Amino acid sequence: MAMASWKAYLGSSIGKKKLVGLTGLALSLFTLTHMAGNLLMFVSADAYNLYSHTLVSNPAIYLAEAGLVAFFLIHVILTVQLTMDNRAARPAGYQHAAHGVKKTSFAAKTAILSGSLLLAFVVLHLQTFKFGTVYTTTVDGVEMRDIYTLVVEKFREPGYVAWYLLSLVLLGMHLSHGFKASFQSLGLFASNHPTLAKLGWAFAIIVAGGFITQPLAVYFFGLGG
Amino acid sequence: MTTSKQMTLKLKVWRQKNAKDQGRFVDYTVEGVNQAASFLEMLDVLNEQLIRKGEEPVAFDHDCREGICGSCAMMINGCAHGDMPRTTACQLHLRHFNDGDTIVIEPWRARAFPIIKDLVVDRSAFDRIISAGGYVSTNVGNAPEANSIPVPQQDAEAAMDAAACIGCGACVAQCKNASAMLFVSAKVSQMAHLPQGQPERARRARNMVAQMDKEKFGACSNTGACEAACPKGIKLTNIALLNRELARAQVKS
Amino acid sequence: MSTHPRLDSKIPSGDVEKKWSNRKFENKLVNPANRRKHTVIIVGAGLAGGSASASLGEAGYRVKLFVYHDSPRRAHSIAAQGGINAAKNYQNDGDSIYRLFYDTIKGGDFRAREANVYRLAEVSVNIIDQCAAQGVPFAREYSGYLSNRSFGGSQLQRTFYARGQTGQQLLLGAYGSLMRQVEEKNVELFAFHEMLDVIVVDGKARGIVVRNLRTGEITTHTADVVILGTGGYGNVFYLSTNAKKSNCTAAWRAYKKGAFFGNPCFTQIHPTCVPVSGDYQSKLTLMSESLRNDGRVWVPKAKGDKRSPKDIPESERDYYLERIYPAFGNLVPRDVASRAAKAMCDKGQGVGETGLAVYLDFGDAVKRIGKDGVAKKYGNLFEMYEKITGDDPYEVPMRIYPAVHYTMGGLWVDYNLQSTIPGLFVIGEANFSDHGANRLGASALMQGLADGYFVVPYSIANYLGGEKLPPVSTDHDACKAALADVKGRVQKFLSIKGKQTADSFHRRLGKIMWDECGMARNRAGLTKAIADIQKLREEFWSDLFVPGTGEELNQELEKAGRVADFLELGELMCRDALEREESCGGHFREEYQTPEGEALRNDEKFTHVAAWEYQGDGKTPARHQEELKFDYIHLAQRSYK
Repeated sequence: MAMASWKAYLGSSIGKKKLVGLTGLALSLFTLTHMAGNLLMFVSADAYNLYSHTLVSNPAIYLAEAGLVAFFLIHVILTVQLTMDNRAARPAGYQHAAHGVKKTSFAAKTAILSGSLLLAFVVLHLQTFKFGTVYTTTVDGVEMRDIYTLVVEKFREPGYVAWYLLSLVLLGMHLSHGFKASFQSLGLFASNHPTLAKLGWAFAIIVAGGFITQPLAVYFFGLGG
Repeated sequence: MTTSKQMTLKLKVWRQKNAKDQGRFVDYTVEGVNQAASFLEMLDVLNEQLIRKGEEPVAFDHDCREGICGSCAMMINGCAHGDMPRTTACQLHLRHFNDGDTIVIEPWRARAFPIIKDLVVDRSAFDRIISAGGYVSTNVGNAPEANSIPVPQQDAEAAMDAAACIGCGACVAQCKNASAMLFVSAKVSQMAHLPQGQPERARRARNMVAQMDKEKFGACSNTGACEAACPKGIKLTNIALLNRELARAQVKS
Repeated sequence: MSTHPRLDSKIPSGDVEKKWSNRKFENKLVNPANRRKHTVIIVGAGLAGGSASASLGEAGYRVKLFVYHDSPRRAHSIAAQGGINAAKNYQNDGDSIYRLFYDTIKGGDFRAREANVYRLAEVSVNIIDQCAAQGVPFAREYSGYLSNRSFGGSQLQRTFYARGQTGQQLLLGAYGSLMRQVEEKNVELFAFHEMLDVIVVDGKARGIVVRNLRTGEITTHTADVVILGTGGYGNVFYLSTNAKKSNCTAAWRAYKKGAFFGNPCFTQIHPTCVPVSGDYQSKLTLMSESLRNDGRVWVPKAKGDKRSPKDIPESERDYYLERIYPAFGNLVPRDVASRAAKAMCDKGQGVGETGLAVYLDFGDAVKRIGKDGVAKKYGNLFEMYEKITGDDPYEVPMRIYPAVHYTMGGLWVDYNLQSTIPGLFVIGEANFSDHGANRLGASALMQGLADGYFVVPYSIANYLGGEKLPPVSTDHDACKAALADVKGRVQKFLSIKGKQTADSFHRRLGKIMWDECGMARNRAGLTKAIADIQKLREEFWSDLFVPGTGEELNQELEKAGRVADFLELGELMCRDALEREESCGGHFREEYQTPEGEALRNDEKFTHVAAWEYQGDGKTPARHQEELKFDYIHLAQRSYK
């Protein structure tokens, strides 16, 4: 009985959106911490590698990774499902696009597209870094993976930098809509609440901007020697 | 001061004989319409011209022509009721257009609002959603003395803000997902703000949302297009409230 | 001119305060288990039809509800702005059921039935309770208790309201209740269905013929009783504040099947509406009468003065209301204000492009209380006006003109709201109603809901409990005949294949009605109007063009049917206006006025309801009288001084 009611609740369009919002917010927070960690590149190579080593050598990492993967999958599967339902809800589109105040924002309209590209980015990103070339280094007498060198190597390739920048602009756009939208799905605030809307933009700019600083610093300003 | 300026408009109007017909855009030119006329009066002029030529007039829904019955429903250049905020198509006047403009007129498009003819769509899905719980289940004769249940003024005002919905369907039409969340949330919100709505609060939210999903409207992507299109200024906060109400209903059960 | 045995008003015995209780006690009842066995057809879902459907559904009858809109929520009651009266006396300003009764009888210029009006005032208090319980968001004080405002024709605050959308909120309350009955399968809803005839079997109303507006299919539905809540017929004037689809067809078809039509000429013309701006105009919009509290009405002294109002100096303006009625000035009663505006325009002093408008100037008000002060009082109305006209009334005077707003006349009903066809009940604006010759503001909503929630359910039980009603199937000869009639009529419209549209005939009819049977009427004009309408009708039946077929959504076909009926009703209105040789309320005969130009009643000859009986096409209808007795409120000349 209780089980059935939860199933109905989470299976409703509103329930699904709540899960999307909740997982989206969790992933947003992850991007924030990830970005903050990356900023250690500006401190030193050792600080960056040590941070990375500390994270991966903690046994709790497996749990955290499993959680992330689960959130990611829920987020992706439900949005794909919802998008299919939404498209079916309007089988024939309009000839003339909306304009003025009645127009839907570009970020909102393309969230599924930016999301799909981000999915591709994440897969490639993991392949490049997590499962990429392993350099090693020793910090304070501990041998560990030298992820710093790998990052610098990649950020010196113009093609990679371009792809990385594009993906981060997409991430920013995705967050600019997704962050505030989650609050509405969760029933906390309307997504056009003026403070929330500003906060959403600020969050998107900080996260995307924070990530973008390193490739720029490496490629244009010679960070990492 | 209004000046009587005549204008010529080029129209691309969706014509569809019935639900089964494929439908297509047909170009018309309406000449010599007064700038002071309303958009629907311009369509009246077009229809009069068509009939005189022995052609079939464009079918469109309308009734009160003062923005309250919710009958009129058309996309005007991609905007539900046209691009003026807080305006129904019947309140939209030609002075907001320029002589020689081309205007694309399309019906509401949503699977839940099948086209009946030309610009007329079937919005009975809204009625079925209301049937599912958009009321207080009080029988005539049950009512206590009206002043025995005080309603704080700010609650009455909030309820009235939501109750102003005219059920036109512009929210569905403008939403990229053809979602009915603004419509449903307006009714849920009206009742949630009033003491009279409390006993059925959880049941109402659950049943109305279930019916909404059953009618195959899309989900809410929180884009806010519905609020922008709403001729009565129904706020997005109602959708946040509905999301909260459903969670509340779930926790309480 | 005679009374008629079928014109039995069935007023209960006893003092006026006891009549309704007595009637409820005398009434027969139908036990709950038996109610399921009775089918009730209701046509229309405005305040009257919607509330009747909800309450009869709740009672357990099998209700079949027919509406021509796509949803019952769109009925024109939705457009009522101001409020709803009730004798709650929440403001401690001396209100009572008796005072509301008194105000309504007097406001109606002593042409309504005392017993009905008393009952209306009596149940008014229950309406507010019922609507508040439904979640209607009435305006509240900080205390949380209900707020009231004052309204025309009364010296106290008894009007309940929900911003400027009272009609909408009351209607949506009734609609919600009725949709709940749809969910519970007590009410079967037929949206997009227009009633085109009543089926009478053995002298009793037993069903209706309807056309499915979407498919064109014409079918018959039978029942034990038929209730019409189909609204008023103000659209006979083509331009009115009524919705475009509002029409007289249901009432007119009933009239032609034997229901008498009461006081058809009683029409209310509201003085402050946005004027007509051109031939393309399709309807008129009301602006609240309250604007006359601060606005000054004027026209240029010179005929045909086309200067901008700003360029016309004070000395060349005629503040005619202040000049002619120095005591009341701009606040003269509705009918006086309306007639005066028309007179000025007829003299050629009207303003605007068409010359059919007068100025309502807020220049002095802005000087006195500032723009903000004016905005606080009338901001929303100014916005609405600007949306329609594109003019800013803070800068440029508003242009206003009277417009047809409501019809007090309608199908004659007895105290039980039953027409002269047994089993045919008529509620709301569709009946000849409780408003006499003039309706007070905020009383239409009250009457619609009183009839639907609190009166007709008792009448229906009494009727069903007292009649033997053998089942009638749709194969009955009367059904077949009515069906064939309606089909023939539809085919006739389609087969004329003339040159003119239904709308063009409607416009011409409207002009005749407005010119000769509008704000001021006289013998010569009415006589001419009758002849003109007859000619127009002949032209209609020989030169109408309806495109398309009958087997689809065909809005031109719908219009043709409605215009055909208006063309007959218009003539009856003129006849009624011609025969009523007095002025009363909204009916102003120029021959009968006081030296000051006020309405002059003739109580000796006309203290009665005129009930018209159809005698066949081409034959003059018979005029019968129901005498009105005033046992409680003494007949007196209405005085506004």
